Amino acid sequence: MPRSNGESFLLDANITLLCWELVFLCAITGGVGKSCLTAQFVQNVWIESYDPTIEDSYRKQIEVDGRQCILEILDTAGTEQFTAMRELYMKQGQGFLLVFSITSMSSLNELSELREQIMRIKDDENVPIVIVGNKSDLEEDRAVPRARAFGLSQNWGNAPYYETSARRRANVNEVFIDLCRQIIRKDSEGSRSSSDPSRKREGPNRHDRKRDNRRPRKRGPCVIL
Amino acid sequence: MESMKRHIPPLNISKSNSNLQESTDHSNLQSRFYSTWGSSEMTPPLTPQTQETNMDQLEAPRPVFHNYLRAFYPFHPAGNVSPSTVTLPLDQGDIILVHSVHTNGWADGTLLDSGNRGWLPTNYCEAYDQLPMRPLLKALTDFWDIIRGGCGSSLKDFGNQDLMRGPIAGVRFLLEKSECLTRESLLVRKYDGLRRIRKALLSDLSSLVKTAKKFQEVANGNPSEDEVEHILDEMLLKAFKIVTRGVRFLDVWNEEVGLSRTIAGMDGPADSQYDLPPTPASETFNIGENDCPERNESRMLESRQMESRQTTRSRMDMSRLSMRTDMMDQPPRPVSVSAKRISVSHRMSVSGPSAAICAQNLASERLGTTYDGFLGVLGSFIGLHMQSRSSTELVVTTKQAVESCKAFLNVVEAVCEHDTHRSVLLDQARESMCERLSDLVHAARDVFRPAHLPEDDMVFMPDEGKQLVEAATHCVRAAGNCLAKARLVLEQIGDMELEPENENEGDQEPPSDQSETPVAEYERRLPPPPLQIPSTTYSPPTPALTDATTPSSFQSHIANSPANLSAISSLPNSAVLPTHLENVSSFSSTESGYRESHKSDMGESFGRGITSNGSSFTYHSHTRDSEMSGLSQTSTRATSPDIGGSFQGSYNVPSLKESVSYSTLAEENEETEANILERTYAHELIYKEGAVMGGSLRALIEKLTAHQSTPDAMFVSTFYLTFRLFASPLEFAEALAARFEYIGDTPHAAGPVRLRVYNIFKGWLESHWRHDRDNIALEFIVTFAKTKLAADLPTAGKRLLDLADKVSAVGGPVVPRLVSSMGKTNTSIAQYIHPDTPLPPPILGKKEHNLLKQWKNNEASITILDFDPLELARQLTIKESRIFCAILPEELLDTEWNRKTGSLAVNVRAMSTLSTDLSHLVADSILYLEEPKKRATTIKHWVKIASKCLELNNYDSLMAIICSLNLSMISRLKKTWDIVSQKTKVALEHLRGIVDVSRNYAVLRQRLQNHVPPCLPFVGTYLTDLTFVDHGNQSLRTLCTDESEMDVINFDKHMKTARIISELQRFQIPYRLTEVPELQAWMQNELVRVRSNGDDTTTQLFYRRSLVLEPREQSRSATTLQSQDSNPPSILDNAKDKFDFLSWTNQGKVKSVPTHG
Repeated sequence: MPRSNGESFLLDANITLLCWELVFLCAITGGVGKSCLTAQFVQNVWIESYDPTIEDSYRKQIEVDGRQCILEILDTAGTEQFTAMRELYMKQGQGFLLVFSITSMSSLNELSELREQIMRIKDDENVPIVIVGNKSDLEEDRAVPRARAFGLSQNWGNAPYYETSARRRANVNEVFIDLCRQIIRKDSEGSRSSSDPSRKREGPNRHDRKRDNRRPRKRGPCVIL
Repeated sequence: MESMKRHIPPLNISKSNSNLQESTDHSNLQSRFYSTWGSSEMTPPLTPQTQETNMDQLEAPRPVFHNYLRAFYPFHPAGNVSPSTVTLPLDQGDIILVHSVHTNGWADGTLLDSGNRGWLPTNYCEAYDQLPMRPLLKALTDFWDIIRGGCGSSLKDFGNQDLMRGPIAGVRFLLEKSECLTRESLLVRKYDGLRRIRKALLSDLSSLVKTAKKFQEVANGNPSEDEVEHILDEMLLKAFKIVTRGVRFLDVWNEEVGLSRTIAGMDGPADSQYDLPPTPASETFNIGENDCPERNESRMLESRQMESRQTTRSRMDMSRLSMRTDMMDQPPRPVSVSAKRISVSHRMSVSGPSAAICAQNLASERLGTTYDGFLGVLGSFIGLHMQSRSSTELVVTTKQAVESCKAFLNVVEAVCEHDTHRSVLLDQARESMCERLSDLVHAARDVFRPAHLPEDDMVFMPDEGKQLVEAATHCVRAAGNCLAKARLVLEQIGDMELEPENENEGDQEPPSDQSETPVAEYERRLPPPPLQIPSTTYSPPTPALTDATTPSSFQSHIANSPANLSAISSLPNSAVLPTHLENVSSFSSTESGYRESHKSDMGESFGRGITSNGSSFTYHSHTRDSEMSGLSQTSTRATSPDIGGSFQGSYNVPSLKESVSYSTLAEENEETEANILERTYAHELIYKEGAVMGGSLRALIEKLTAHQSTPDAMFVSTFYLTFRLFASPLEFAEALAARFEYIGDTPHAAGPVRLRVYNIFKGWLESHWRHDRDNIALEFIVTFAKTKLAADLPTAGKRLLDLADKVSAVGGPVVPRLVSSMGKTNTSIAQYIHPDTPLPPPILGKKEHNLLKQWKNNEASITILDFDPLELARQLTIKESRIFCAILPEELLDTEWNRKTGSLAVNVRAMSTLSTDLSHLVADSILYLEEPKKRATTIKHWVKIASKCLELNNYDSLMAIICSLNLSMISRLKKTWDIVSQKTKVALEHLRGIVDVSRNYAVLRQRLQNHVPPCLPFVGTYLTDLTFVDHGNQSLRTLCTDESEMDVINFDKHMKTARIISELQRFQIPYRLTEVPELQAWMQNELVRVRSNGDDTTTQLFYRRSLVLEPREQSRSATTLQSQDSNPPSILDNAKDKFDFLSWTNQGKVKSVPTHG
């Protein structure tokens, strides 16, 4: 990688290039393990005691393609029954993780409703979305065939589909990084001209992304909280 | 193994030694040192052949940080050492609490005998880790950490007697292991010496306990800082005293009891394997003896008033011998005492890489160890160059530096390769690291050039030295940066395994060919270390003591500057770094001159510069993962707070010898005797900052029913609330009964403890009984009450039986629980309103009453606009508050409210339903108005109601209303919002800010913190918090003891849960407002009306309705339609959720709304 590029990034990082991204995790019913996913992602491995009541409990800085991003995660865990609340969260979210449990078909079916709500609220067909089949460690209890989930992913404009295990910490970071990448890309597309709606196919465990859109430039409006 | 030995710092002194032989003016002192060492002559010849040691060393696993050392040789650096010097004079047998060990073999320690702190040579000592003493030693370590390492919170930590449990349990363990637990035990009666020391030990203990009590009293008052400090110091010294006494006790025991037992067991050949060399450097020990015949004469120089050293020595040896037999019943420990000891003095140097090989090959760990290794080498490198050392040595060190750096970079490289995204930062850091290293090598080469000239003493010009230091400093900085970046990358990509042999060859072999000869030579030729260290006093290679005012520099490896020992002892407060060039003989004369001229540029810049950049970083990283790497250079304990002070000699604590009274009053001993005899599971608890973090059930129960202190209210209520999550009710009852039973062994405590146990039972039955869960334990409790309890406390037994009867008869708790039973202390701050204060009258005129009456008779329809916003807010608040106050704590446990079927959390569910209904009502009232103007008026009214809710501290309703106004179907009504007044918009914006979800509801949380009930918090935040506490924390914790690991209950998790619940309960206080039944009835009717459609369909209806009111702009809806057509499967997949806004007209449910094309 060219030296100058890296240096300019360094410079940026020192000044402002920490962008806040809001990620929203949703599932209609509890029990799909999304709070575990969040907790696993947010807390460092060696923290032995997790306190969710402090301001930074749902915040984490990650590096995506050389950019430092601060992800703030809105997780409705525990308040699934406050259905009216959901919209409030959704409005704030810039990217969405739709989590279901691979052990429950109904949890998958519920995602459609969520997605429609998101589309409606964001008034946008290309909201960054990642579909997450959690509890991949419970393979023996699998109720959702992979093909089914992939089918859904295709129908939804090739939204990436990952299978994760919060318990084994498998694919946890990948999910968030992928989503974050989508948000960043969408931001830059939006500020150019959003004429290219076709998204690249993104399969799970994809590590070979091109880095063509990584030119250092001023970011569009990022939500600073 | 060779490489390990090679790096024992004191051994490195070989070169300069020859110079020293000539400096005759020091011969006196030297002989003194010889003499002290010479006393070893009297030692029983326990030292076996060196070969055996080597075998053991081969097996020695990763080095361990030993918290305690015992001086094996006396160490008196320079005649009359005042306590203000930074070196710590030692007498044989002294016990030292170690704070950190420097790369060069010097350790920063506190002498338990006097409480003085300073540097001491580790090769004069051996690790003190006798099994019977372990708990006591650990207790002292904890004690020290809390007092010295605690940051201001010490007062709180001493709020109870928990801290005293450690020492008490420790002494008990010691006495138990030595079979001297009771005064009547055989050994105590048989050996008078043992009895006396035991008695003294107990009186020391009781003196400590008394001081702790006094401290509690003082702390409860309003003590001055000085006062507190003074008592803390006193306590610390007393704790020290206990340990030294314990050590003496063990010595005596070993001598009197252990010896005879060992002799009895000597018949077998088994002991030969334990007969390890007692001396630190036993390899050279015997040879050294021959070398120094003059030691015998000067032995008389020793002036010690304690027991004679020989005795001590023999006792120590004895202890080593006989404790082995003690440990026979333990699993065989491959690490012998002496092998461990060697690791202590070795581990600082280049043990990094070698240890990394035995360590697991996790990248992060490897990274840490190689980095440590590199810094270690670099540290000695910097140190070396400043002394007039031969160039070969410098070459070797440089080479080592490069090798270890290579090892480090290898790991970094591996990390890079694994990082698919190729972090730019890391790449850069690595590159600059390489550059810095080559700079260093160049600089070193420059320096060498003149060194090749023969007979040139002043080979290093200051400028070149400076250059070298700078290069090395840059290197350290670059390495630190590199490490940080690598860690960052690791954090992102996750840790990984590396091939084990990766750097095996790289950094192990080359240095060893280089230096093998000198080392071997040295071993043959040189006197043993005890002689060496003193002699190095006059020679540059002595372990360095750096700037005493910057504590971190002590803990870092880099701060290895060659401050001269004698300089330090002669200049007690010196913060100077005497640098290189000083010829040994001319040292003292040039000293002062040098100091003036060079202090500012060299010493300062070096000592401070490096410390602040590289070393402080290492220090932090070490403390953080020290547990993982096991290689931490400093102990994990906080040592920094007062290092500066103590090294300046201002360790102003009363000296132990004067402050501790040797009171042996009989009644005190009685009490301590009793304390000792108490059976306890306190060691099964995990503490952190004075709070219980985890523990086994029995240990937690013990804490719950402790007799010395009233249990913390929060602890007790947590127990009642959450015990069902970690134990069945029957187990809980049984554990309580067991506690009742075993406390009987401790007569003086049995009374209060048994009463406590009874009270716990009573509280459980009275107000915390859950019929659905606890009834299985009832039978056991009845039996317990009838038998054991009745036998000991007849009235209590009877009352418990009565209670049990009532419980089985009544359906709920016998005594209705206080709503705020958890947060009792908090409720006291609720606003006090005199009961006679009249309730505020409802704001309802005749007109409103009439309207309500007509509505009741179906004569008129009414809307919210007909009522005053404040009154509506009040009635909403009353309605919600009633449900909120009814929430039981058990509804909030274990995500009960999310259970799909048979959830017990009826009230929590009702809260969420009400909140959702209210949102729907808001939307409904706006969306079913045809004219934008009317809608705007309604919005304004709702904003007013929301503001009134805020005035009433009703955040739950506020949240529901704002949520609803935020709904896309409302917010998209552009025409409507255009009419809404600016004032209303501003008010709404303000309210939105309050319930903002971002930053984890920071605004809302902040407000709630300061609120005084009555208040209705938003329940959702509590539910989310509880969910995350439940899912984000493990239910078990691992408690590591010396022998094993055990899983204990993660009580911290339950405390967190209970804290959140108590926070919620704090607000469960009803409002003082007048209910208007008619209005309530109307509201209820409205809420039910909007609910009837069911959640999902309701929102969809609302959305369609919204589209009808203000249709989408044409272009927009066209694209939407199109994209949906192009993507049919998603719609077909979920027919029931079909999002088709044109079909709304077909739905019969929609009320009289005119259709339009």
